[in-house]
Amino acid sequence: MASLATRSLSKVPDRREAGRPGRARAFREGASPYLYVLPAMLLYGTFVCYPMLRLVQYSFTKWDGTSTPNNIGLSNYNELIRDPLFWQAFRHNLEWMFAAIAIPTLIGLALAIVLARSHLFGRTIFRAVFFLPQILSSIVIAAIWQWLYSPSFGAINAALKAAGLSSLQQGWLGDTNFALPAVFIAWAWTAYGFAMVILIAAIQSVDEEYFDAAKIDGAGRLRQMTAILLPAIRRPLTVVMLMNAIAALQAFDLVFIMTKGGPINSTMVLALYVYQNAFISLRVGYGSAIAVVLGIVIVISSLVFLRIRGLWGGKE
Amino acid sequence: MRAIPATLLLTVLAVGVLFPFYLVLSTSLKDDQQVADNPLAPPKHWMWSNFSQAWVDGHFNQYFVNSVLVVVPTVLLVLALSMFAAYAFAVRRFRGSTALFALLMVGLTVPLDILIIPLYYEMLDFHILNTLWALILPQVAMSLPFGILLLRAFIQDLPRALLEAARIDGCSEWRLLIHIVIPLCRPPLLSLLVFVFMWTWNQFLLPLVLTQSDSARTIPIGLSVFQGRYVTELPLLMAGVTIAFVPVVVVYVFFQRHIINGITAGALK
Repeated sequence: MASLATRSLSKVPDRREAGRPGRARAFREGASPYLYVLPAMLLYGTFVCYPMLRLVQYSFTKWDGTSTPNNIGLSNYNELIRDPLFWQAFRHNLEWMFAAIAIPTLIGLALAIVLARSHLFGRTIFRAVFFLPQILSSIVIAAIWQWLYSPSFGAINAALKAAGLSSLQQGWLGDTNFALPAVFIAWAWTAYGFAMVILIAAIQSVDEEYFDAAKIDGAGRLRQMTAILLPAIRRPLTVVMLMNAIAALQAFDLVFIMTKGGPINSTMVLALYVYQNAFISLRVGYGSAIAVVLGIVIVISSLVFLRIRGLWGGKE
Repeated sequence: MRAIPATLLLTVLAVGVLFPFYLVLSTSLKDDQQVADNPLAPPKHWMWSNFSQAWVDGHFNQYFVNSVLVVVPTVLLVLALSMFAAYAFAVRRFRGSTALFALLMVGLTVPLDILIIPLYYEMLDFHILNTLWALILPQVAMSLPFGILLLRAFIQDLPRALLEAARIDGCSEWRLLIHIVIPLCRPPLLSLLVFVFMWTWNQFLLPLVLTQSDSARTIPIGLSVFQGRYVTELPLLMAGVTIAFVPVVVVYVFFQRHIINGITAGALK
């Protein structure tokens, strides 16, 4: 479930409410507020903040994970800039990201419009079914799609053959041209459900009167969508795109299970390159440097999206 | 009348989404011969033995127990610790509260992909590598920012008069939290419970790196080991896949509304 960062966009600490004197007095009578926060902060500090600092530290070293780390300054970053495989992985992440921003969002939007704007029989059932793939673990998704893509006994090639299109049969995951799109499709199969659920709720919260007014003014269905619906849901729409973009930058599980980055690195992505360096080639320092860059890319992407959201005006 | 083409289209799409599930289930109940004869047809005679064989040969009993032993403490810890912290952040501004909260929110964008390297060496230092604790503690820590954000927003939206009245009646903060706020927080707590259950149950990278033997492996890693061994024995593999996804689907069917409410609550605020 890629829904974590959604909330980071939703609430900013509210100074006015939190600092009411009556509350302060009431709290003083019992335990200090620090005691309430302490256990959470302790775990968060130990298993999120501290590792982050260590990661940056590792990235300045040459280390095989067992011997004493050698401080080599910025050498890892210098190497990284000249590493063609790093750039190839980066490009795959960006391709995945643009596809992720567009495709699941559009499918989710189309389904959301149909499910939210009409009064179909059984639409909660449809919603539940379309969301279902989202809850599966990556290994289950991978196992299903690896089999669908299988060259010899896969359902896709079997269906192509049955349709008389044998010439279109491929070794999907074994082909340098098709492997990355194939893994992406398996991911998109799960990702559109998230977009759909958020957009259904967004569309349902748009005041029906706007649509009625537009109808009276003679606006057709398409015009109602572009002139009223899309502007009204632009904020949740950006949230959905941001979530998919971040998920694309974090892509690991499906690639690791389905292709291990192959064939010939045609599906190599940054997170997998991090993993391979740190845990397979035991180049912990270099892997950490890639991880730091990946972290920075994710933060920048989030900020860009927040900025776009800001440009679209404040809440309401 | 105009709804009929839309319903038809949606039904076709829904069948498309469900088709892979059908394939997995029907294949898990076939033998190799039936798969070879017609991979898409439903099973002729049902091979329930595939499940018992997968369960025993694939050590799924061990993986299942491990998954439960990881998920239960993780969920309980996240619910309790998020609740305490969210309450303090919601009702009180204290020295450093804004900074601490901002620090927590950074955690919403930090992916496990980059934390995993230092986490490995941290677990090594703590001597808990290849134990269930190595899976529980980071999972709790990474789930806390979301839990705190979700609950804090909900508590801030509670009617102020209710909390004030209890305070005037001499209710201590602790009793207020236990007897009034927590019962009122049932909806977000349920959403949080389901989310953390799913994240933890489906977690792949953490156990991939931090476990090395069956004694600590959870279902996703167990299934991936199993997949490596039975790549050509499709019915057995699909029985394993079924064992892995049935618990989440059951939880989803019962708590579907809470999942969807939890997702939309945050995104639309």
